[in-house]
Amino acid sequence: MSVARTGAPIGDVARARAWRWPSLSQVGFNLALVGFSLVVLVPLVWMVSSSLKTPEEYYQRVPSLWVAKPTLINYVYMWTRGGKVPLFMANSVIVTVGAVSLQVLMASLAGYAFARLDFRGRDALFLAIVVSMFIPRSGGLMALYELMSFLHLRNNLFGLVLLFGAGLPVPIFIMRQTFLAMPRELEDAARMDGASWWQLFWRIAVPLGASGMVVIAIIGFVYVWGEYLVTFTMVDNEQLLTISVAARTLLVGGSAQGWVAPQQQFLDKFATEAADAALLLMAVAPVILVYLFLQRWFVRGLTEGVLKL
Amino acid sequence: MALSRADRTQGRAATLRAFVAEVGGIRQQRWGNGWGYAFVAPALLAYLTFNVWPMFRGFAMAFTDYRFLIPNSEWSFNGLDNFVEMASDETFWHSFVVSLKFTAMTLPTGIVAALVAAILISRVSHRRAAAFYRWIVYLPVTMPVAVVMLMWRQMYHRDLGYLNLLLRWLGVANPPNWLGSADWVLPSIAAAELWRTFGFATLLFLIGIYGMNRELFEAAAIDGASGWQQVLSLTIPLLKPIFVLILVLSAGVASATEQMLLITNPPGSPENAALTTGLYLFMQAFQFGDMRLGYAAAMSLVLGLLHIALASLVFVTMRTERD
Repeated sequence: MSVARTGAPIGDVARARAWRWPSLSQVGFNLALVGFSLVVLVPLVWMVSSSLKTPEEYYQRVPSLWVAKPTLINYVYMWTRGGKVPLFMANSVIVTVGAVSLQVLMASLAGYAFARLDFRGRDALFLAIVVSMFIPRSGGLMALYELMSFLHLRNNLFGLVLLFGAGLPVPIFIMRQTFLAMPRELEDAARMDGASWWQLFWRIAVPLGASGMVVIAIIGFVYVWGEYLVTFTMVDNEQLLTISVAARTLLVGGSAQGWVAPQQQFLDKFATEAADAALLLMAVAPVILVYLFLQRWFVRGLTEGVLKL
Repeated sequence: MALSRADRTQGRAATLRAFVAEVGGIRQQRWGNGWGYAFVAPALLAYLTFNVWPMFRGFAMAFTDYRFLIPNSEWSFNGLDNFVEMASDETFWHSFVVSLKFTAMTLPTGIVAALVAAILISRVSHRRAAAFYRWIVYLPVTMPVAVVMLMWRQMYHRDLGYLNLLLRWLGVANPPNWLGSADWVLPSIAAAELWRTFGFATLLFLIGIYGMNRELFEAAAIDGASGWQQVLSLTIPLLKPIFVLILVLSAGVASATEQMLLITNPPGSPENAALTTGLYLFMQAFQFGDMRLGYAAAMSLVLGLLHIALASLVFVTMRTERD
């Protein structure tokens, strides 16, 4: 330990050049970090490499992450098979875009009111929403099933949009914070010029609060795109499944419990498990892309939303 | 900054007190700007319909013999009958034990792994490298649960899964059939769940560490505290509010419904070794016989109470340690 702190023994200092042998604790530290990264990355890299493998290569049964002869046949097969994947992708896009737009709109309006408009019971209402978040929703799924059946919103993409669009406490919280941080002067000036509250919201608050909207839109996007249990419960119609829910039924490979021979007609064209890997990667691609380019907004979502609750 | 966050250990209790005070003060307030109600109305309506109503309805449902496929049974209250039935339902007790085991496997390990990862990453001085590790660690959290679980189902495949390919290559002649053996199935799924979720806690811890007062650590270093001593006596105590937050947010661990639905086939197999209470109640509600929503809601209520008990236990221990 002390070696790590004080560096090389004094006698060596004179001979020390730009590079020195790293100390033992530094090596351990870096090994641990690399180990963590490998644990996260290896399954993903294996998926990517499997999805690019030809059947000859896949069935060689070696734990190799390298692909000698990459092929896109797995993707082509999964994308074109019965036209299902594009349909499920479209469903996912409809539900996600719809729900997120609804969330952004409603949370901005409410957040603005909670931050700026003075009305009776405002803070009580806001705190009630925050407190209600921490009450466990026991039996919530069963109650939702009853509610959605009653409203004829089961097997209905619009129903999913409404349902996910209503997940509002955290978005409202974030939008209120965003609007509270806005300088008041612009609004006061506009108010003097006779702007209505609606104009104030639309012309001043919305452009200035865009960063908060991006944060909640990204949180909402990742959540709705990946949501499983509620969608699975609310949709039986196979035409209306989202890609996350449909993924399980689209898999063509053997069961996890044991070996199932690949269907003969495909044996020479592609490995079924490789096609499954391609499918899973297509289902996760939009999220990874968003995460790749907009990572800092995720951190903002956590600092401004979750941690301040 | 750091200390102010540490002071927020009782943040939720403070919110509750503020709420009560606000409700008490409503009488003295003027009606003020009526536009406020118009702006809040859509959000409030949606939230009340799809969130608050199911909360109350789900609670009430736990005391009924509601079977969705039996007409007019939605308000057939039967007192505590559901809980009496549960007490003698062997499958329920089995699933309850599975749930507890699963929680014990994922929750403490997840928090420890996240803490270790966060401390490691926080000590990376190279900016780009640190950003890279942060990116990696949060990546699984953003992925859909279905993709993660199905990916791990492939990883665990007896013959073609990467794990067993690797083990055979390393010379293990007969690697376990992970998801096919009653002994291995639960730890295997717990590992997959850990892979999926530990990045969330890691990033929360990291944000906490980054927000800490550097001067405290410099002072400790001057006083001769080693890296380990700093971690044990400064970092971890200062992260307590985040520990509590993570525990509160991990409400769904014990039920683990979707994970089991996705990775096991048929659900809960083999030999019901992966049948958590969440999965069992889901099957009671949506897959068995006449869809016993009432009984399922009662089991769900038991899970909710378990979580509240766990969270308050942690909350109280952490508070007494602080004093």
